[in-house]
Amino acid sequence: MANKDEHELSSDTESVRHKFIDRIFHWTAGVLIIILLLSAFLPILGIKFDWLPWHWVSGVLLLFVLTFHIVRALFFQNFLNMIPKTDDIRELLFLSVKSSDPQKYNAAQKFYHLITAASVLVLAITGAFMLVKIDTPLWNRNPAILSDDQWGIIYVLHGLSSLVLIFLVIVHTYFTLIPEHRQFLISMIKDSGPKWARKKKND
Amino acid sequence: MDLFRFSKDVFGQKMLVGVNWDFIWVPIFLAGLLILAHIILRVFVKHE
Repeated sequence: MANKDEHELSSDTESVRHKFIDRIFHWTAGVLIIILLLSAFLPILGIKFDWLPWHWVSGVLLLFVLTFHIVRALFFQNFLNMIPKTDDIRELLFLSVKSSDPQKYNAAQKFYHLITAASVLVLAITGAFMLVKIDTPLWNRNPAILSDDQWGIIYVLHGLSSLVLIFLVIVHTYFTLIPEHRQFLISMIKDSGPKWARKKKND
Repeated sequence: MDLFRFSKDVFGQKMLVGVNWDFIWVPIFLAGLLILAHIILRVFVKHE
């Protein structure tokens, strides 16, 4: 079994764990995703209102925000920090990690981000297709770009990913609020936070 | 219970229209289960 300390939060702090622009991205994307989920599912649960303008406007804004994040992660940040590696699988399985390098993100954070990124990307791409089915002040609808069968696949992918996202949002909210993760929550609000989520081995 | 919803097109043929929204409770239930498991694990580890 792994040494318990290996999986504990480092008490080291740095001046900025998440830069201001990344914190703005996080909370903007979070608010937009909440609006998208509520505008999609409240009418299904029986709370009727004119949900479509809320949904498509939030969706378009999220597309812009996501594009910004992807460009920033790929070209201005070390995106390898967020890619799960062999040690992350070992950490998830409660096995001892082999590398002695400390990690900014632990295994749970990396895998959570990976699954969230995948489901949000599927939602964004299928949602972008669905935008052409509605008339807006910015464009006119043109549903003929895909066949009925192809639209059916788009709807299914959009729906399944949204169900995955409901699960992820609930789990994210719970793990954010537990006392052990208080420093991570603060680091997403203020200019300080733990430098490492997984400490250096034998630290 | 069907996983997907179907409708009929103008020719009366079966047409896929999306996921069956009765499954909306599945992710909520699974998330609740995971949270419950984590709470139990925390209590167990605390007492260890």
